[in-house]
Amino acid sequence: MVDPNPQTLPQPTPAARPLQSPRKRHHWIVRVTHWVNVVAIIIMVGSGLRIFNAYPAFARKGEIFCCYPFEHKPIPDWLTFGGWLGGARHWHFAMMWVLVVNGLVYMTFVYLHGEWRDLVPRKGDIRDSWQMIKFYAFRRKDHPHQGKHNALQKATYFALPWAGLFAVLTGIAIWKPVQFAPFTALFGGYVWARYWHFIAMLIIVVLSVAHVFMVFAVDPYSIPSMITGNYDPKHSPEARNARPFYHLLPRNVSIDFRVRRERKQGRASGQSHDI
Amino acid sequence: MTSDLGESSRLDSLDRREFIWRSTGLISLALLAACDSRGPKSADRLLQYAERKNLALERKLFRHTSMDVVQSGAYDAGNKLPSYFVSPVVPVWDEAVRGKWALEVGGLVAKPARLTLEDLQRLPQVSNRVNHYCVEGWTAVETWTGVPFAELARLVQPDPKARYVDFRSFDDDYHESWDIESAMHKQTVVAYGLDGKPLQPAHGAPARVYSPVKLGYKNTKYLTKIVFMPRMNGGYWTDRGYEWYGGV
Repeated sequence: MVDPNPQTLPQPTPAARPLQSPRKRHHWIVRVTHWVNVVAIIIMVGSGLRIFNAYPAFARKGEIFCCYPFEHKPIPDWLTFGGWLGGARHWHFAMMWVLVVNGLVYMTFVYLHGEWRDLVPRKGDIRDSWQMIKFYAFRRKDHPHQGKHNALQKATYFALPWAGLFAVLTGIAIWKPVQFAPFTALFGGYVWARYWHFIAMLIIVVLSVAHVFMVFAVDPYSIPSMITGNYDPKHSPEARNARPFYHLLPRNVSIDFRVRRERKQGRASGQSHDI
Repeated sequence: MTSDLGESSRLDSLDRREFIWRSTGLISLALLAACDSRGPKSADRLLQYAERKNLALERKLFRHTSMDVVQSGAYDAGNKLPSYFVSPVVPVWDEAVRGKWALEVGGLVAKPARLTLEDLQRLPQVSNRVNHYCVEGWTAVETWTGVPFAELARLVQPDPKARYVDFRSFDDDYHESWDIESAMHKQTVVAYGLDGKPLQPAHGAPARVYSPVKLGYKNTKYLTKIVFMPRMNGGYWTDRGYEWYGGV
């Protein structure tokens, strides 16, 4: 029987290793919604571009549209999905529900579980972003420590749900321009709502491409963490001082020559982060 | 012993990493292979399910009080309005061959009618300046003059069981069937005039159905017959894979 009031604490065995953090880096809901999003966004963008190609312009018939430089130039076929207009419409109108439900699940989770705290903008974020830019531009030698996500990541992950919401609202506006005529009018009418829907898609694509680029270029070790949830802080960009494609270089080659030079001149201490 | 454990778990994680990389590669390949295809065949049933659910939702969302509004400052399309038909040439009603044109209104109705163009023109007339919403994504502003569909319905007195209407044409076998509520919408007309002039063969003469609540392909041109029906009857483009409802 275990003594309910032990006089001494049980001694850890000498060989015991510190426990790995029991908390996963990403909750399973985040991981599942992330990958559902990958499929849903690829299909929504691809089928949307296929629909767009049926009339790759924004002008009302008999008018000229001011603000799109590629009027009547179709998107390359290989970027589209659905095969033909009708097929792409079926995909678009089916997958839109997956995207919306998935987004709601994610946002509800982030709100209830407190993860939003890692994502909302804060006062120091502009300064922190500047530090990240300086680091990537070799103007700062060590990777700033800015919590779970650095300021640039935070800005991206914060902006994406808003871009998604914008895409959904403008999408509803062009789905039902007569039934929801006053709503469509909020976006400047059908022609403009269709344009804003396109812009929302562009924002999502640009942010997603930047995200995927940075994952492969800076933190490929985070890919397993979005599947199993496990993340080894030893491999974090902060620990590796990782700039884009740093992990692909042989160990003994250092592209951050300025840092090396400094190190040779006598170990740089933590007094100043700036070079 | 602990070091053994550590070693084996490290190996495990390496295997898992390998597995993850391979599966990522496979998924990417599958996605690439699906590019510019119609997507996996196995998804067809899911897509049809989604279309049925969307149809039910869209019919619920439909309001007779929702009106199409042309934006202020929008220009008329005029001769920029595209002309579509499925026959190899512009379908023209040839009186010498087919006799005088008349519109048959029948099906599940108490008083079937046969209306010549003059008969139609004697019925209450409206002119609607509205948007044309094409399935392709373009819009065009035009003024359509004709008989409100609801007036025709009043004339023939449809059975309450007639929940659908089929609009048939002499443009080959072109037809499209509608839900009755869209047909009864205030802006749905059997049009014989466009922009203040008689409808021309390029746009469906002598008469066509026109409503901003439906996509262009649902608005049958070159009308010959309006049939009230108890169930939906597909349509030319509907049978070729476009969604049956086609409402906006």
